[in-house]
Amino acid sequence: MDISRGLCGHLISLLLFLFHSETACRPYGKRRCKMQAFRIWDINQKTFYLRNNQLVAGYLQGANTKLEEKLDVVSIKPHTMFLGIQRGKLCLSCVRVGEKTRLQLEAVNITELSESRQQDKRFTFIRSDSGPTTTFESAACPGWFLCTALEADQPVTFTNTPEESAMVTKFYFQPD
Amino acid sequence: MVFSLYMLMVGASALAIQHETHTVAPENCRFRGKHYKQEFRLEGEPVVLRCPQMPYWLWASASLHVDLTWRKNDSAHTVPGEETRMWAQDGTLWVLPVLQGDSGTYICTTRNASHCDEMSIELRVFENTEASLPLISYPQFLTLSTSGPLVCPDLSEFTRNKTEVKIQWYKDSVLLDQDNKKFKSVRGTTRLHVHDVSVEDAGYYICTMMFTHESRQYNITRVVELRVKEKEEETVPVIISPVKTISASMGSRLTIPCKVFLGAGTPWTTSLWWTANNSHIESAYPEGRVTEGMRQEYSENSKNYIEVPLILDPVIREDLITDFKCVVLNTLSFQTLHTTVKEAPSTFSWGMVLAPLSLVILVLGGIWIHKRYKLRSGKAYGLTTLKTCHQDFP
Repeated sequence: MDISRGLCGHLISLLLFLFHSETACRPYGKRRCKMQAFRIWDINQKTFYLRNNQLVAGYLQGANTKLEEKLDVVSIKPHTMFLGIQRGKLCLSCVRVGEKTRLQLEAVNITELSESRQQDKRFTFIRSDSGPTTTFESAACPGWFLCTALEADQPVTFTNTPEESAMVTKFYFQPD
Repeated sequence: MVFSLYMLMVGASALAIQHETHTVAPENCRFRGKHYKQEFRLEGEPVVLRCPQMPYWLWASASLHVDLTWRKNDSAHTVPGEETRMWAQDGTLWVLPVLQGDSGTYICTTRNASHCDEMSIELRVFENTEASLPLISYPQFLTLSTSGPLVCPDLSEFTRNKTEVKIQWYKDSVLLDQDNKKFKSVRGTTRLHVHDVSVEDAGYYICTMMFTHESRQYNITRVVELRVKEKEEETVPVIISPVKTISASMGSRLTIPCKVFLGAGTPWTTSLWWTANNSHIESAYPEGRVTEGMRQEYSENSKNYIEVPLILDPVIREDLITDFKCVVLNTLSFQTLHTTVKEAPSTFSWGMVLAPLSLVILVLGGIWIHKRYKLRSGKAYGLTTLKTCHQDFP
């Protein structure tokens, strides 16, 4: 009896070892793959909010400020993270459709994403800090950066020309 | 075409495309709901309401095919109607100057050959008093001891066709002029650069822009509330304990704290956990013999620390060959520290027995030696007396 239990235990540990991903978030590990809310606003003071299920950046006044979306962050590696909104229920992803690179909001739980799953790569962002500001590059779409338009109330998108001033790729990004 | 696409985009359900030449009757119009943002403005200002379903970048291509009308929900008539203060232009409704009585819900109707859509937008007009400031202000954030911009928001309807914008910024009714070292209004832009932000800089800022219509001048006012935040810095964490090997005796309870130094960094964004042979503790020990203790966040000499203990209760032989690892992760860094449990050396327990035993032997030996010495010195004394006796009796 003891032997079979021991064997079973070893088998479990072997399986865990085989399918283990050190930093992957597991549903039971809520405490350690802590989701953290960050305030995000671009260098022109525009904040994020939802309009027709689309993430847009603009200026919010008075009672409108309750529309502000904060970014929910789950770190997977240094400078590498999953980004979500609405308490991690909608995740930001980079999807290529033909010639176009699109920012999508997908209804997946941020804590159930896994770094090791190839299909979850589109949710992965690489953060780079430069002074007080931060840029976010998509890991699935290398060279494409999260950006806002200069004009207010326009969709948050991706750009592959972050140096050009037509789009804003620099954000203030701070734990809320 | 673009308009139709946009309609499909905003609409959740598919719309049947009808090939009709006449416009859709008003009763067939589909109400798409209230606009996400309300418009809060001050009395006397020029106000531009943009038709919510007709963003300006669509208007250029849609304007030829779309019939756009406005009405206020408390009146059956369309606006502007008789009112000379109001007019519709390029997908927007202009109100100049706006009065408190203009507050209310405005419905924009867009029609073309195949679609009819309606959306509403709410306008609230306030009296220009101190009490109105929180109701109309735009909060903007800057970080303590850094420099950054405030932006005079929502002016695009007035600045779109202008090459030069002239904004004046005020704080506590004082004009922040060009020569101000602390505040620099960036010429030709809507930005006010705040240098080396301090706590005192927080509060309401008013930016104004002059707008001329039919040779009359109007002031456009926006209120920005600067909120100064202390920098929530993230630092690279450093695991400062446990040590590489930890001694424990079999059957005892062992607590191994993993202590992480963060310096000035915030503990909020740092995750800290233990693994056993690369498995998470809960999955490696479902029976709960080995558990993770409560996470503690604390400061010592104004430096931040996090601590999560690993509790083995009781320690068993298997633990000696287990690779326990403390893992720390934040957005900047990922670090691990291995530790192994070592059985407390067995000679130690023998020593525990031998030490008092040898002490007893030593004491007993001492006593014996002492006694022996005493006895010897006694005999010697006897001999000397005997000698003297000899001397007494030669």
